[in-house]
Amino acid sequence: MDGLIQHSETINKLLARYGVKFGIYKNGEFKEQLFPFDPIPRVIGHEEFAYLEKGLKQRVDALNCFLRDIYGKKQILRDGVIPEEFVFSAKGYLPPCDGVTPPKGIYSHISGIDLVQSKNDSWYILEDNLRVPSGASYPMIAREFQRKSAPAAFLHNSVIDNRNYAQMLKSVMDNVNTGGINVILSPGRYNAAFFEHSYLAERTGAVLTTGSDLVCENDNLYYVDYEGRKRRVGAVYRRISDEYLDPMTFYEESVIGIPHVFEAYKKGNVALLNAPGNGVADDKGIYYFVPKMIRYYLGEDAILQNAPTYLPYYEQDMKYTLDNFDKLVIKDVAEAGGYGVVFGSSLTKEQKADFITLLKNEPRRFIAQEVIDFYDLDILDEAGGRVPRKADLRAFVLTGSETQVWPSGLTRFSRNPNSFIVNSSQGGGFKDTWVLSR
Amino acid sequence: MNISVSGCENVRQTLGQFGSRRIYGCIEQPHTDFTIRVSGQVKTGLAIYEEYSEAPLESTVFRVQSGLTQPGPSIRAFHDSLSLKGSAYDRALTIRKAVHEAFCYLPGTTAAHESGETAFSRREGVCQDYAHVMLSLLRMEGIPARYVTGMLLGEGASHAWVEAQCRGYWYGFDPTNNLLVDDSYIRMCCGRDSADCAVIRGTFYGLAAQVQREQVTVEKNKEKL
Repeated sequence: MDGLIQHSETINKLLARYGVKFGIYKNGEFKEQLFPFDPIPRVIGHEEFAYLEKGLKQRVDALNCFLRDIYGKKQILRDGVIPEEFVFSAKGYLPPCDGVTPPKGIYSHISGIDLVQSKNDSWYILEDNLRVPSGASYPMIAREFQRKSAPAAFLHNSVIDNRNYAQMLKSVMDNVNTGGINVILSPGRYNAAFFEHSYLAERTGAVLTTGSDLVCENDNLYYVDYEGRKRRVGAVYRRISDEYLDPMTFYEESVIGIPHVFEAYKKGNVALLNAPGNGVADDKGIYYFVPKMIRYYLGEDAILQNAPTYLPYYEQDMKYTLDNFDKLVIKDVAEAGGYGVVFGSSLTKEQKADFITLLKNEPRRFIAQEVIDFYDLDILDEAGGRVPRKADLRAFVLTGSETQVWPSGLTRFSRNPNSFIVNSSQGGGFKDTWVLSR
Repeated sequence: MNISVSGCENVRQTLGQFGSRRIYGCIEQPHTDFTIRVSGQVKTGLAIYEEYSEAPLESTVFRVQSGLTQPGPSIRAFHDSLSLKGSAYDRALTIRKAVHEAFCYLPGTTAAHESGETAFSRREGVCQDYAHVMLSLLRMEGIPARYVTGMLLGEGASHAWVEAQCRGYWYGFDPTNNLLVDDSYIRMCCGRDSADCAVIRGTFYGLAAQVQREQVTVEKNKEKL
């Protein structure tokens, strides 16, 4: 461990040199900032990981069943388990996907499930990310550098090698590939996660592309290389959001997508990872219903618990939310990345009154949650001392011929001692996540 | 029906969302303009379009507000000022009249995908805005309602109106003209709001400004079909 701490600066320098950066837009300006790495790893024991693994697989399998159902027979709605309007008014519900079955029926191939551990050691699911979850490349490359700079740390601790993520990802792409090459579709170099796109392309052997490298002809997708040669594409790991994917079906002004790719997908000629329309399942309002989904589709009780959540949409939950406003955290279901999160206690009297009016007018738009007192993890401060900070864990769950959990994850921490928000877009840092093999 | 696109040999067809027909293609060669011509004969006649099923799950998507019908302060206040009572059909009639009277028809004021709320706060707009506001109010009343794009006898451009689910059927209401939809209306496609019902959409690569012109001619056929 001392070796790791000693080389902290070297590793951060290497990360900077390799372009491990996060781009953020603030006030309309693009700024790149380093994603600070903290050398003290989060350690997850063998048995604890086995428990998490079981719970995460179960959750992702149920979410995939839900997506297949919603864009298919909608049985869960007919059986009244989830109110219909919750599904149809979710921003991520996309009518063009209705009746479209993706290759092998898989919707969420790469799922990023955010968890926190509370002070009493129990794990809670904070949110599901089933659209374009990012972050796996950071612990991958950090591990690479650490193994070089402090090999002893890995010799004396039985840490599972996490550098297999690329192989896992490749087999997930190969599993649904409809015949042709694998590509990663990036919006381009000004995207927040461009480092990750290029790194994963390099590691999986997929071709790194932007929308203008790809064309649709006769409902097939082709990659056009620098000499103008066309090669058929069988799977697109797309790192652009649904609305920008195809200007002919979704957001018309998109210049980063591929015109007509949705038709090729609809006809089963190309796989899109993840499938468009997944936003209906990782909606913060639908989150509330995930334990019910697990029961409904798998006939099992949820292994991993949600954070205690209230839906102001239901009368008694609205009452609870108003009565306990100051101790709850309220989230706008349409926002992500740490935006649209309000702590009841942080509002002034006027802000609170305005917010309550908004809440009453649009109850469907918000969820209220108990504030979980996260377990703190130690980080190194500038002077080299250890200070506790709030941290979460993004677990990566990959669904190919079967669902697997990557034995690592992205541990993000808040650098501000008073903040619970760990998102990298809000200036947080990251740690390596060790899963022990025994 | 006849469809031709100048400069594009490979025109394909598909079924889009909510059962609409889509024709699509791509012109690969450099070009400065192209024309899409659609001509044909249509038989209209029924104001009631279809019966809805016993389990109206499919209509729920039209009962909830969509992107462009989200009410804001001006629509909410307007809703409060209306005294709506009676059946869904009666309320739809009242809303149609109220929207018609509250708006001032003013072409050229609305941006392509402007929300009903934005247009209503100015009280100015075109058929698209009338329809969005009417949809917004119907959905606030819990009445499933959908946006319809189509054509009107003799008019020079495409038109938009609303269908609401009342008494087990979808009825057409035209808030712009304060009329019930009859056999002078030709229905093309429907959706949650105008964003689902674009008559044409497309994209091009190149450095150029673009101008789009649309011309619609609808004439009564003198011979009996």
